[in-house]
Amino acid sequence: MSQFQPLDPLLHSQLRLAVMSLLIGVDSAEFTFIKEKTGATSGNLSVQLDKLEQAGYIEIEKSFKGKRPLTTCRITKHGINAFETYVENLKKYIE
Amino acid sequence: MKTEELTTEQRLEIITNMIGQAKQNFAKGGSFQILLWGWVIAAANLGHYALEKIGYEYPYAVWLIVIPAVVVSIVQSVNMRKNSPVKSHVDKVYGQIWLAAFIVFIIVLSFMNQLNFHHNPVILAIAGMGMYITGNLLRFRPVIFGAVVLWVGAVLAFNLPVAEQYLVGGISILIGYLVPGYLLKKEEN
Repeated sequence: MSQFQPLDPLLHSQLRLAVMSLLIGVDSAEFTFIKEKTGATSGNLSVQLDKLEQAGYIEIEKSFKGKRPLTTCRITKHGINAFETYVENLKKYIE
Repeated sequence: MKTEELTTEQRLEIITNMIGQAKQNFAKGGSFQILLWGWVIAAANLGHYALEKIGYEYPYAVWLIVIPAVVVSIVQSVNMRKNSPVKSHVDKVYGQIWLAAFIVFIIVLSFMNQLNFHHNPVILAIAGMGMYITGNLLRFRPVIFGAVVLWVGAVLAFNLPVAEQYLVGGISILIGYLVPGYLLKKEEN
């Protein structure tokens, strides 16, 4: 059992894992894009994005597109490392 | 999405599914640039060839159509980047390759007299390189086929007089740019 490393609790949530999986493959993504792809509600997504930002896994940039507020998310190096470690640990569970 | 306990397989499925979702957004609208430059450069090459054949004194004047094309190309790129809800790494590299190619084109064209005006095959060879990398990034074989056409065109053009190089250049661009460009557009839709 000792070969099994505990999985990162922050990526334990289905939505946070989905967000990280989406952001790992892109340079940056807008809030609306993440919402559409994950099928999450705006409220829940905002809460989970804040948690990922507080952990330093993602960066959130708030700006304006015309008169509309624009939230853009980008994965950080710390987030990439956390995601890769998570996937490596996950692999051990199925090996 | 729920936050209930997930199995390892379900977690891997989420990861695979989301990475797949991100991939689907790569370089949509890239066909616009290929079609724009395909039409402009083919028209300029064939126009130059035709004007020279009919004895017009300034056949190179036809290349002035490149100026508005540069403006349209930049405006479209900026708008596409601004309006896209997601920016992929591939889109970024795609833009950088063609910016680098454009800079090389300017350098080559600035010294065309030192190349004895054999700049056309050089341009075709560089455009072929851009298409080859683009085709591989997009994983779209017709664009790679276009690159091969441009390289064959470059080899042919190097073996012809300067005037005939414009004809080879025009035909190479028609086949090597426009055919893959329209196929890519169909794929995007």
